[in-house]
Amino acid sequence: MTVAPQRPPSIVGNGPAVHAPRQAPPPHPARSVWARILGRPTGSTGDRPLVVMRHVSKVYPNGKVALREVDLGIPEGDFVFLVGPSGAGKSTLIKLLIRDEIATSGDVILDGQNLARIKRRAVPKVRRRIGIVFQDYKLLPQRTVWENVAFALEVTATPSRLIRPAVDRVLAVVGLTGQARQLPATLSGGEQQRTAIARALVHDPRLIIADEPTGNLDPLISWEILQLLLRINELGVTVLMATHNADVVTALRRRVVALEEGRIARDQVGGAYHRED
Amino acid sequence: MIGFIAFSVRRAWQGFWRNAVMSFAATATMILMLLLLSGFWVLQSGLNATLQFVEQKVEVVADVRGSASLDQVNALAAEVRALPEVASVEFVDPEAALARFRARLAEQGREDITQYLDRNPLQGSLEVKLRDAAVFGTVVDVLRNRTDVVSGVKEIQKLVDDVLAITGVLRTAGVIVILLVGLTVLFIIVNTIRLAVVARAEEIEIMRLVGASDGFIRWPFVFEGALVGLIGAGVTLGLLALVAPSLGRLMFDVFTVLPLEFGTLARDLAILVLGAGLGLGVFGSWVSVRSYLIR
Repeated sequence: MTVAPQRPPSIVGNGPAVHAPRQAPPPHPARSVWARILGRPTGSTGDRPLVVMRHVSKVYPNGKVALREVDLGIPEGDFVFLVGPSGAGKSTLIKLLIRDEIATSGDVILDGQNLARIKRRAVPKVRRRIGIVFQDYKLLPQRTVWENVAFALEVTATPSRLIRPAVDRVLAVVGLTGQARQLPATLSGGEQQRTAIARALVHDPRLIIADEPTGNLDPLISWEILQLLLRINELGVTVLMATHNADVVTALRRRVVALEEGRIARDQVGGAYHRED
Repeated sequence: MIGFIAFSVRRAWQGFWRNAVMSFAATATMILMLLLLSGFWVLQSGLNATLQFVEQKVEVVADVRGSASLDQVNALAAEVRALPEVASVEFVDPEAALARFRARLAEQGREDITQYLDRNPLQGSLEVKLRDAAVFGTVVDVLRNRTDVVSGVKEIQKLVDDVLAITGVLRTAGVIVILLVGLTVLFIIVNTIRLAVVARAEEIEIMRLVGASDGFIRWPFVFEGALVGLIGAGVTLGLLALVAPSLGRLMFDVFTVLPLEFGTLARDLAILVLGAGLGLGVFGSWVSVRSYLIR
């Protein structure tokens, strides 16, 4: 699949910045995201786009414009922070990626599949390639940690003989082997979020989408969750994390995509939470 | 496929007990509604039997001349009996008519006034029962034409029409009431099950997000609805069986003359309760989960 933006990709600035002409070009254009997607020789050439959004706009039935002409590419193995004030369109962008919503115009392509064109019955298979983590964990309160993680496999027709080893493995990855038999209510917030991450991981997804995963956690625990996501990223899983946690974003110097009023205001590799002028 | 069904049934069972409060609320509603439906069904059956009985009473009566010979009467009776719309013909001779009259007086506790008569003033009559009260065909004409035997045919056409009009209205009203009750029951049960499903909206959302296909989300809930329906129907039938003896006695007292067969009624009721319980449970769950699946 080739991505053909209507204008030539800029090596210096990021494509999407063109849509916000009043904004100054980003100061740290380490390498062009579009160039990486197109396989241009600007660093790791083997990168393969996992997520491509082209001229994506989303207008809700009530007339609210949530996204305007968004262009975004995420190569496989990337770690991307999605930042921006509330109502900037972060949640809509995530909903488009998991096909909870369909773009009003433009293409949302995940792993080569145009999400607007797939049949409804193919949606569950797409979602199995994505692991989703939420601020409020979304755990089933009457099931143990182990059962919560196994639930994701049970409801997707995984043979039961495969469930046990897979659940045990991801619980070991997130460090919850000892708490496997506990109910969520008896766990700390950080442990609950790690349970949710284990559930997101158990399908062996290509992409983890974390929507404010540290929103309910104190700073120390937030770092713990971040470390876990980074480790998962090192294992080769692409991570897209929407967050308001400025400390974490600025300290880690990863790629930062900033949304403002539905537009990508900044797409910067090695960026901080706030614009650094 | 077997694995899928086993999964759905297991999840339905777990879901029922894990959300016991909502499940019991739905089951209790189901029982109450099925009892209501059964009650109306019994009433409707009683009403229908009554109407049938009234309709059976309707017959054509021809007064037989005293001058007519028994042979003539028998010949006419045979002729009428051969008509396709006729169920039976009975000749009540003057003596039998007198005996019947006396019996009626005695039943009403009145003095037998016929003892003061020196002769029997009553005429014999031919009583014709029709297969269908609405179809007279040529019965009346055949009887009227034989003036040598028949002195007159009672003007019962109008009476029959009136009775049929009333029973028709009552039957229609009964069906409408049963339909209204049925719709109410449907509405209440579907909404109760919807509440039970809404209480688990988050579970459905998680299933959707981890990539469960529609079938894996829907069928456990449908089986759970079926479980609510079956348990509800079972308890309802148990309660009905408990009250059946006293209900039966009451019905015998009230409807003692009616052609009402308690066995048939019980069988129909069992089918109705089981079918309605199962159907409503499945339908309610299906509709409730549907709104979460259509995105």
